[in-house]
Amino acid sequence: MKDKIFEAKDVVVKFNLRGNTLTAIRGASIDLYDGETLAIVGESGSGKSVFTKSFIGMLDKNGWVESGSMMMDGVDFSQYKTEKEWLQIRGKKIAMVFQDPMTSLNPVKTIGEQIREVISYHFGTEKEAAKKQAIELLRQVGIQDPEQRYKQYPHEFSGGMRQRVVIATAIACRPKILICDEPTTALDVTVQAQILHLIKKLQKELDMSVIYITHDLGVVANVADRVAVMYAGQIVEYGLANEIFKDARHPYSKALLLSLPQLGVRGHELHSIKGSPPNLYKEIKGDAFAPRNPDAMKVDYEYEPPFFKVSDTHYAKTWLLSDKAAEYRKELEQINAAKTEIKPAPPMDFSNAKPLVSVRNLTVNFKLGRKEFSAVRDVSFDIHEGETFSLVGESGSGKTTTGKAIMKICHTSGGEIYYDGVQVNRKMKAHELTEFRKNVQMIFQDPMASLNERAKVDYIISEGLYNFHAYKNEKERKEKVAAAMHSVGLLEEYATRFPHEFSGGQRQRIGIARALVVEPKFIVADEPISALDVSIRAQVINLLNQLKKEKGFTYMFIAHDLSVVRFISDRIAVMYKGRIMELAETEELFRNPLHPYTNALLQAAPVPDPDIERDKEVVVYDPSIHQYETEKPYWSEVKPGHFVWANDPELAEYRTRLK
Amino acid sequence: MTRYLLSKLGQAIVTIVLVVLVVFTLLRFMPTAGYFTREQYTTMSDAEKTAYLRNMGVLDPMPVQLKNFVVDLFHGDLGRSITLYPNMQIADVLGEKIQYSLLLNFISWFVAAIIGMPLGLAMAKNKSGIVDGFGMVYIVLVRSIPSIIIHFFIQVYLSKLFNLPMLFYMEQPISWILPIVSMSIGSIAGYATWLRRYIVDEENKDYIKFARVKGLPSNFIMWRHVFRNAIVPIAINIPSDFLLMLSGSLIIESLYAIPGTGGLLIKSITAMDNPLVQALVLLYGALSVLGVFLGDIVVSFVDPRIKLVDANN
Amino acid sequence: METIKTTKAQDLPQDLFTRADFHEELLEDTGFSNYSYWRSTFRTFFKSTVVKVILVIMLALIAYTVIYPMITDLDPYEVALSPVEWNLPPSSEHLFGTDGVGRDIWARVWFGTRTSFLLAIAVAFFQVGLGVIIGAIWGFYRKLDTLMFAIYNTLTNVPSTIYLVLIAYVMKPSIITIIIALVATGWISEARWFRSRILALREADYNIASVCLKTPPSRIISRNVVPYLVSLIIMDVALTIPSSIGSEVFLSFIGVGLPADLCTLGNLVNQGRSAFLVYPYQMIFPTMILCIITVSFYIIGNKFADASDPRNHV
Repeated sequence: MKDKIFEAKDVVVKFNLRGNTLTAIRGASIDLYDGETLAIVGESGSGKSVFTKSFIGMLDKNGWVESGSMMMDGVDFSQYKTEKEWLQIRGKKIAMVFQDPMTSLNPVKTIGEQIREVISYHFGTEKEAAKKQAIELLRQVGIQDPEQRYKQYPHEFSGGMRQRVVIATAIACRPKILICDEPTTALDVTVQAQILHLIKKLQKELDMSVIYITHDLGVVANVADRVAVMYAGQIVEYGLANEIFKDARHPYSKALLLSLPQLGVRGHELHSIKGSPPNLYKEIKGDAFAPRNPDAMKVDYEYEPPFFKVSDTHYAKTWLLSDKAAEYRKELEQINAAKTEIKPAPPMDFSNAKPLVSVRNLTVNFKLGRKEFSAVRDVSFDIHEGETFSLVGESGSGKTTTGKAIMKICHTSGGEIYYDGVQVNRKMKAHELTEFRKNVQMIFQDPMASLNERAKVDYIISEGLYNFHAYKNEKERKEKVAAAMHSVGLLEEYATRFPHEFSGGQRQRIGIARALVVEPKFIVADEPISALDVSIRAQVINLLNQLKKEKGFTYMFIAHDLSVVRFISDRIAVMYKGRIMELAETEELFRNPLHPYTNALLQAAPVPDPDIERDKEVVVYDPSIHQYETEKPYWSEVKPGHFVWANDPELAEYRTRLK
Repeated sequence: MTRYLLSKLGQAIVTIVLVVLVVFTLLRFMPTAGYFTREQYTTMSDAEKTAYLRNMGVLDPMPVQLKNFVVDLFHGDLGRSITLYPNMQIADVLGEKIQYSLLLNFISWFVAAIIGMPLGLAMAKNKSGIVDGFGMVYIVLVRSIPSIIIHFFIQVYLSKLFNLPMLFYMEQPISWILPIVSMSIGSIAGYATWLRRYIVDEENKDYIKFARVKGLPSNFIMWRHVFRNAIVPIAINIPSDFLLMLSGSLIIESLYAIPGTGGLLIKSITAMDNPLVQALVLLYGALSVLGVFLGDIVVSFVDPRIKLVDANN
Repeated sequence: METIKTTKAQDLPQDLFTRADFHEELLEDTGFSNYSYWRSTFRTFFKSTVVKVILVIMLALIAYTVIYPMITDLDPYEVALSPVEWNLPPSSEHLFGTDGVGRDIWARVWFGTRTSFLLAIAVAFFQVGLGVIIGAIWGFYRKLDTLMFAIYNTLTNVPSTIYLVLIAYVMKPSIITIIIALVATGWISEARWFRSRILALREADYNIASVCLKTPPSRIISRNVVPYLVSLIIMDVALTIPSSIGSEVFLSFIGVGLPADLCTLGNLVNQGRSAFLVYPYQMIFPTMILCIITVSFYIIGNKFADASDPRNHV
C-alpha cells in the first residue's frame, strides 16, 4: 500500500437552517493514499459534496465543522477559520473542479488570464513566464492551438472544452489532491468519457490523488481505485472498486447496485429502493437506511452499527456483519437462493404492429438572431401501438424538440406529424384538438419545475379533469384523483398538500398522475428519470412499465443514456445534430450497431463494472470520416426494421458486416 | 459589433423621434398665455392676441407646427424665450448657464463615486456588521425621505454648523461646498447600494467560488474579478451621467440660487415661458437618449460577450 | 441532534438480530419537508424587530388618520381673524401650533396625511395595476415587443421628472392631475419589470404541462401565474407609496403641485419652509410625520422583498 497523504476522521458538519441546527455530516472518515482515485458515491443530500467542501474551507456561510480532524502533511486543518489559513491549502495542496463548467469561469476575462493569475499569484512568476506555463497547461489538457485560445473568452468554448480549461486552472499549482465534484454530470456522454480519460492521464503525469464525488456508478467503475459509499451524512461502506461492485455488504450499497437498469431483466421489475433518502430535519436513530430496507433487523432501528471488517481494505457499517447476525445472514441467503433465475421477456412482436404516431420528414428550424438553424432535419419514424419507442441523443441533438413537436407545443417548419391518422402540425379543429390533448400527454424531466408550487396536489392532478369535464360530480372527481394517486403509489391524504412538501421522486409521480388521470393512450416522457436520485430511478421506471402493462400505454421515451433505454425500450432511434442516424429494435441495435455515432455512444455509456470500464477505450465520433460530397447519404432500411442514415458505399459495407 | 451598434443607433433615433412627438403634443395643450410677455398679455385686446398667435404659428395645424419646429431645429434655432428672458435666443440663454451646472455636477459626480463605491465595498465586506448597519441607515434615510427636505435641511443646518454661505457665488469656491454635498448625497447612496448588492450577488456565483478554490485571496478576487465585472454595468451609465449634468439638477439649483440650467426649467415653468419649456424639455430628452446610446457603445468595449452577437451572424 | 455513539455488538441482546417489521406505507413520508413558501416568508419577515416596531407605528398612524376627522371638531381650513392666533407655538390647545393665518397645524397635518395617503394609494393602485396587466399582456404576446420597447425607451430614456413636471404644468392642478402625472411616468417601468417576471414564469415546465392538458389561458394566468406575483405586488405597492408621497412634495416645491389651499403633506412642508427661519415648528412637524411615513413604507417594502425571496428562507 502506498503512503497515506490525507486523512479525515470523524468529521461532523453542522448547518443553521431556518432556525434549526442540522447535522449534515454525522461523523464521516476517509483516508486517501498517494496517487490513488477515491470515489465517494451517494445521492443528493447524502452529504458527499458538503463533506469534501469542508476539506478546503468552502462550506456555505451557515455551516461549520463541529468536530473531527483533517490531517495532511502532519497538520490538522479542520478548525481553520481565517482565509489566510485556508490559502495554504487551497490550490496548492487541494484543488477542486466543479460540476458546471458553464458557470465556473469568469465570463469577462480571457481564459488565459484566469489560469495565469493563479500561477503568478502562487509562485510569483513573472507575467511572460506565467503565460508560457498557462499555454503549456492548456496544451496538456488537450486544447488545440493553445496560443490562440489563450486570448479567448469562456463563451467561445464548448462545455467540454470549458471543463478542460477549468481542470487546467485547478492543476496549475500542482495540487497533491484534486477533488472533482460531479465533473461530468453537466456534459454529454461522449464528452464525459473524454474528460474522465483526461483526468486519469493528468493524474498519472502529475502524480495526484483524485477524489471523485458522483452519483453515477458507471463513472465510479471507470475511474475509481477505491470507493466509499455515503448515505445520510455517513460513509456506510468502503473498499476497493472490485470489492464494492462485486461484493457489496451494506444493504444500501447492495440495493443501489441492484437497482441499476443496466442490471435489470427486460419485462421484469427492477429491484427498487422504496421511499426517499431521509431529510436532515428528522432525527436519525440507528442505521439511517433501516426504514427503507425490507430486510432490516430490529437492532438497525435501535443502535447505530460500527464498521465491520470484510477484508484488509473493505469495511462496511452494518449489523449484518456482526457475529450475532450469523443466523439472520443464513436466513437471507436461503431466501435469495430460493429466488429462481428470471428469464427476460421476449421482444415485442412487430408483425401486426399498427402505427399510432407517424412522423414524416419533420423539420424544425429556429431563429438565433438572424441566423436560422435546424434543430430537427427531415426526421421520419412510426411509433406503434403498445411499444416503447426511445429517442436517444446528446444535448442539442433535437430529441426534445422532436418530442415537443409531437406534443404540439413547438412549431414545425416542414413535414407532417400524424396521431391516430389525424395530422397534428396544422391548425386543428376544436374537437380534434380536445381529442388529441386528451390522448397524448407528457412527463417532464425536472420534477422541481414541472409542478405549480402554489397549487395543491388535488388541483394539479384534477387539472385535466376540469379541462375535459371528465367527471359528473365532485365525488367522482375526488375518486378519480384518488385512483390516480393510488396507481402511482401515493396516499390519498396527500391531495391536500403542496408540491414542495414532497421529494423529487414523489413529485415525479405526481406529474405522472397528472398525465394519466385523463386516460391518455400515448405518453411522451422527456428524460423522466435523469433528474432523479439513483435510488429513486428504479421506482419511476417500474411505475412507467407497470402502467404500460395495466393501461396499455404507448411511450415515446427521450433519453441521453443508452444503458437506461435498453432496459425499457422496444425500439431505439439514435439522433445526432437533428437527424436520426440509426433506428432498430433494441437488441438488434446493441448487437449490430452500424453507424459510427451509435458505436461511439454505446462505447461511452458507462457500465457499472470496473473490469469492463477500466480498460475501455474512448471512441470519438468524427463526422468528417463520411465522404458525403460525392455520394449523398439517405435514410434506408438495411435489414427489415433496421434503418440507417448512410450513402451507398457505406450501406454496402454495413450489409456485408451484417452477414 | 457593427450590427449591434447599428441596431442601438436605430433604437436611439426612433426614441428621439418619439420623444419629440410626445413632448410636442403635450405642449400643444399648454395655456396660450405662455406666448405673451406679461405686458402684452394685459394690454392686448383679444383680436390682437389671436393675430399675434397666428403670426407666431401657434394656431397652425399640429403637423405644420411640428414641421416648422423641426426645420428650425436643424438650423440650430431653438426659438426665443418670451417671458423669462424676453426675446433672447434660447441657445444663448443656455450657453451662459451650462457652465455652472457642468462644473458643480462634475465635481459632485466625482465626489459621489469616490465616496459611494468604497462605501458599497466596505458594506459588502462587512455584511451585517457595524459598517453595513450604518451604511444601511444612511441609504434608507436618503432614499426614502423626499430629497427636497434633505436638501433644505442641509442648506439650513450645515451652513449654520460650519458657517458656510447658504447661497452659491461663482467667485467664492467655499460657497460651492453645500451644493456639492447636496448633489452627491443621493448618488453616494445610489453607488453604495448598487455596488453592495452587486458584490453580494456575485459572491454566490460559481466562478467566484472557483476563484477561491484556486487559492486566490478574497482581496485579489474582489479587485480582479468582482470589480472588473462590475465595470460593465457602471460603464453603461457613465455617458448618461455626464450628459445629464448639462441639464443640471432641478431642486438644488433653485435652492442655492445657482444660475445653472437646472433651475431654468422650473423658472420657465413658473414664468409660463412656453417656447423655453419646449426647447429645454427636448434638449434634455435628446441628451438622455444620446447618453443611453453612448452607454451602449462603451459597454461593447468592456464586455467581450457583445462581440458574440456578431459572431453568430 | 447529536451524533449517535456506536455500540459494541457483544453488549446487545441476540433477539435484536432478527427481522424487523417493515412499514412500506410510512416510507412515503421520509422525504417529507415542512417547507411552506408563505409561512417561511412571514416568519422571515416578522423575525426582524425593526419590522415589528415599524408595523405597529404604521398601523397606529394609519388608524389615527382614518379616525381623526371623526373625533375632532378642529377645522384645518379655519382661518383665525385675530392676529393673536397667528403663528402660535405648540401648546396644549394647538399641539403643533398655528400657521401664519392661525390655522391649527395638528389638524392640518392629519388631514394632509389623509390626502397624501389617499393620493399615494391611488397612484400605487393604478400604477401597479396597470403594470401587472400590461406586463402580463406584454409577456404573453411577444409580438408587442417592438411597440412596447419603443414606448419604454421613450418614457425611460428621458428622466421621469421632466415628464412629470411637463404633465403637471400642462394640466390644471388637481388631485386627478397629480395621479395621472405620476401614473403616466411610472407605469412603464412596472410593466417592464412584471413582463420579465412573467416571461420567466411563462416558460416554466408546469405551464407547458397545463398547455398539454388544454388548460384555457385564463386559468393558466389565474392559477399558475398570478399566485407567484402576489408577493411582488405587495412589495411593489409598499415601495410606490413613499415614492408617490415624495413626488407630491417635489411637485409642490416647484409650484406645479396641488392647489396651495388644499391640505397635503407636500403643501404643508412647503408652506412651513417659507416660514422656517422664524417659525421652524411649522415645517418640522409636518416633515416629521411625512418622514415617518415614507421611511416606514420604504423599510417595510424592502424587508418584505427580502423575506419573500426564497433564497433568504434560511
